[in-house]
Amino acid sequence: MVQTIITRTISSLLVIVGSLTLVFAIFYLLPGDPVLSMIDPTYATPEMIENLRVQLGLDQPFYIQFGHYLADMLRGDFGVSMVNSDPVLPKILANFPSTLILTLSSTCIAVIIGVVLGILSAVHRNGWIDIVARTVGLFGISMPTFWSGILLILIFSIQLGWFPAMGSEGISTLVLPAITLGIVGAGFVIRMVRNSMLEVLSEPFITTLRAKGISRHVIMYKHALRNALIPVVTVVGMQIGEMLAGTVVIETVFSRQGIGRILADAIMARDIPVVQGVVFFTAILYVVINLLVDISYTYIDPRIRRSSTSR
Amino acid sequence: MKQATPTLTTDWQNESSSTVRSKKLSWQATTTRYMWYIALALIAFIVLCALVPQWIAPYSPVDMVADRILQAPNAINWLGTDYFGRDIFSLVVYGARDSLLIGFSSVVIGILVGVLLGTVAGYIGGILDTIVMRFIDILMTIPGVLLALAIAAALGPGLLNIIIAISVSAIPGYARVMRGQMVSLGSRGYVEASRSLGASGLRIVWKHILPNAVSPILVMGTLGLGTAILTGAGLSFLGLGVIHEIPDWGALLSQGRGYLTVAWWICTFPGLAITVFVLAINIIGDDLRDRLDPQSSYL
Amino acid sequence: MAYTKKQYLPASLGWTASILLIALSLVLSGCGGVAAEKSSAQGNATANGGNLTYALATSPDTLDPHRSGLAVSVRVMRTLYDSLVLQTADGSIKPWLAESWTTSKDGKSYTFKLRKDVKFHDGTPFNAEAVKFNFDRVIDPATKAANALALIRPYESSKVINEYTVQVNLSTPSEAFLGNISQAMLGIVSPTAAKKEGEQFGKHPVGSGPYQYVDWKDNTFIQVNQNPDYKWAPETVKNTGTPYINGITFSIIPEEATRIGSVQSKQVLAAETVPPQNILALKNSPDLQLLQANTLGLPYTLFINERHAPWDDVKARQALQSAIDVNAIVKTLYLGTYERAWSSLTPGILGYDESLENKIQPDLARANLLLDELGWVKGQDGIRVKDGKRLTLKYVDGSPNREKRNDIAAMIQQQLKPVGIDVQVNITKDIATVVYQNGEYDLYGNSQVNSDPNALSAFYHTADPSARPTLPGLSDPQVDQWLEQGAIEKDKDKRAETYRKVQQRISELSVIIPVYIFPYTIAASKTVQGITFDYLGYPIFNDVRIGG
Repeated sequence: MVQTIITRTISSLLVIVGSLTLVFAIFYLLPGDPVLSMIDPTYATPEMIENLRVQLGLDQPFYIQFGHYLADMLRGDFGVSMVNSDPVLPKILANFPSTLILTLSSTCIAVIIGVVLGILSAVHRNGWIDIVARTVGLFGISMPTFWSGILLILIFSIQLGWFPAMGSEGISTLVLPAITLGIVGAGFVIRMVRNSMLEVLSEPFITTLRAKGISRHVIMYKHALRNALIPVVTVVGMQIGEMLAGTVVIETVFSRQGIGRILADAIMARDIPVVQGVVFFTAILYVVINLLVDISYTYIDPRIRRSSTSR
Repeated sequence: MKQATPTLTTDWQNESSSTVRSKKLSWQATTTRYMWYIALALIAFIVLCALVPQWIAPYSPVDMVADRILQAPNAINWLGTDYFGRDIFSLVVYGARDSLLIGFSSVVIGILVGVLLGTVAGYIGGILDTIVMRFIDILMTIPGVLLALAIAAALGPGLLNIIIAISVSAIPGYARVMRGQMVSLGSRGYVEASRSLGASGLRIVWKHILPNAVSPILVMGTLGLGTAILTGAGLSFLGLGVIHEIPDWGALLSQGRGYLTVAWWICTFPGLAITVFVLAINIIGDDLRDRLDPQSSYL
Repeated sequence: MAYTKKQYLPASLGWTASILLIALSLVLSGCGGVAAEKSSAQGNATANGGNLTYALATSPDTLDPHRSGLAVSVRVMRTLYDSLVLQTADGSIKPWLAESWTTSKDGKSYTFKLRKDVKFHDGTPFNAEAVKFNFDRVIDPATKAANALALIRPYESSKVINEYTVQVNLSTPSEAFLGNISQAMLGIVSPTAAKKEGEQFGKHPVGSGPYQYVDWKDNTFIQVNQNPDYKWAPETVKNTGTPYINGITFSIIPEEATRIGSVQSKQVLAAETVPPQNILALKNSPDLQLLQANTLGLPYTLFINERHAPWDDVKARQALQSAIDVNAIVKTLYLGTYERAWSSLTPGILGYDESLENKIQPDLARANLLLDELGWVKGQDGIRVKDGKRLTLKYVDGSPNREKRNDIAAMIQQQLKPVGIDVQVNITKDIATVVYQNGEYDLYGNSQVNSDPNALSAFYHTADPSARPTLPGLSDPQVDQWLEQGAIEKDKDKRAETYRKVQQRISELSVIIPVYIFPYTIAASKTVQGITFDYLGYPIFNDVRIGG
């Protein structure tokens, strides 16, 4: 098992280096001149622009730029913002807790709503509860989040005055953004829990239990649910990545502090080191989360160990 | 309860063995069926809007009538007018074209590239398989929306750039499914049988593996269509969307959102168009999966 | 693949999942609790003192005045920094940190006598050395100064005469110089702090203004608190001492609906840049007041690129002017809340030429006639053609859609269709490359906040061949001569007359389409009193009180 974990960790590290390369490649393709976006073009003289280019090392050939970039990033030096020379990594780390809280609370909302409605939906398959639950879930994944977010602000902040429209301080500012993002996740979790429950219910061991005369409730909530929830853990791990991505829009709509907001602003300002930094940071998170999920599976269930290593 | 008979516990099962049950079930099944028909009709209508908007829209979507700005829905402008005095209904009808174009083409490109990569990896195997799948792993480390955003930010706004951005973010999913199919089907009896009968490799892929992979890919593609349209709308919100003379739904929604308190209709109807279309697509997609590919419920 | 499906696990895993959930919610409530405590420390007290919460539409780039390039930064920086002099509403220059000054005969050097009682927030005394340090810092390439560098031109050097007297030397005389150094981007920073912080000064700003910097959370808020030692305010504010309120929280809320929603739901006390559609709705609100100040300088102007055919022909440009209905644009998009611009300068600036108002009227017949005369003939699709070339107009604008500028492009696209011009709108984030580097535009709009008509030089004076071309690409000896004359003319009336001639000439040459004058608009709770505006239209918070 230790060997599995070591293999996994090494391959994760390789993947991280790979995504570093990918992120660099995406932005190396960027048309336009990054130097020009750092300097007011109305006043800058060609000489000033050239000096800045040399200063940033942007006059170097591709492979040298890439070498420097790779070495810097792996050392934890994410560079500085083109807009105001802020170091990128400290900026990300300072803003990350707020994004983490939002992501975790949205995930909680998604899991709670998703599991409850998913079970109800499966238990009452094709009943009206099922139809309502699935429709709710589908609405969640069918609305653009910036729109549903603004609608929530209109209703709950301006009309009813229950929750603040913006901000990052206090739990009350968390409610609307977490719901907006959570509803999307809930849509996926409902779908998954429902299908997983239905599948488990059609398994032979359920028939066996039924034949033994065990009550329907016990079968449902003790045996079936327990097994049906297992994939939820995997999907939650995957969903966290999507949720992190979702914060780009949500943090902007609700004016929350966070790395999503930093990314949105950096895109507006064409601040490439910051965009690169945030995207890469998210990639690392994703790899780490999935590594943990994998390792915990290996730990929990010996039967998976063999098949997962060969994957 | 101790003597519970199978008939009492079948309400989670597909089959129904008692007539009482089956009557109740048939009512519920009908409701689901209706939803399916409604979804299909909506999609058909929206596709029609995209293909021949001039048959449906009452006015030109670019006509700006200065003395009819910000009109609430009324007899002349069924869904009201925007801040230019353009007819919202006509805008939404014409806007379907770009929105669907973004959705469909990015899904098709994503499928083509993904299936190709997955097939090559699964078929040839060995070192190539490792390289391709590692590349896919790397692509997957960046969440789809974020990858699309990064690519769109790098390429700049534009229809083609948006389509590229969204399709690249969809490639890993298809490649993984395709390779999975290759690996699991490749060892199945009938493929081995045909191989032993002297069938060529490509022929096996074409005749036996691709048809089997169609179901999961189709399901993923359908659901991916909804995701693609939503991602496109999100890019519009972040100012990375397409800016055309006739705006797509995402652009309409994004441009109109500042008017929500004074003229709710400007962004409500494009928003509804997106939601209804994606919702209908998801209903069809869910149903397709239940029929064709019950195994893929975790995708 | 899909290894979880066919294997069923012991009952304990279900519980693992639940425990994970509970753990998540504990983490969540723990973090929330900490955050809640923090927020109570800076709530909106309405009693004497209190904290003003003020929503900004975008985030400042930096609070280093010499490096900043954004108007939004100036709104915050004006609370932190003082200037040597002040410009009042009539354009005259008044003392601030400088008590008095004299100008040398050749107009190339100014001698400032400084106040002796001023100190920076970090305790550093303000003196002649500090002034010299500041001005030298602006022209030092290592500072990477932006707008400040343009404003300080033609500054050459400073000489410390004694502790409170400094002589500032220019390379050429400039009548705009005093007005320029009154701007916040040439505000005086603490030399000690600037040396200590270096690159990071913008995140740890130290000035001598009525408020001092406390905190800046990225994209969230900037907190400034009253300067208890402040007693050197200029004569334009009533309260020359320490501000009445304890501090100001500048919240950064880019999303329009959220920003306006926050002030409506009283989460903030004031919000800037109220969009036109909300101005109308908020006018009737019982709890809110609207404060408005037109910005000075160059109005939002569409520059026609003279370097590109066919727009190098004055007739073609006149056709554009006649075909574009600016009134309809301003009325439709800004709903009567923005004033229409008529000249290359805004009203209120020295030498503004009122005679240009209402001079150009939309006239489709004239536009068609002019294009006919030039030999452009309407083709099958209604677009004019000449020598096999279609008549196209490349219209470039920036993203995001600031002040509905992208919508202006959409309207002009429709307005030019009937006269047979195909407008290709290019909305890009990369204005720097598209417009300034490659010059790939026929029409591009811009505006500039400025206090002196000399601002016209950067846009209309023939560009130095080694430098970047100006936006319209104009090269007119007459305009050049008057602009050079205006920069050094000492007699105010003569100077005004010179700039009137410049504006008329620019109008004759038809290189621009002036569109609107931007009114900086604040929606504030009626409990907030005393927000005023400076000459340029920036808010001033010295006199603010919050109460009843």
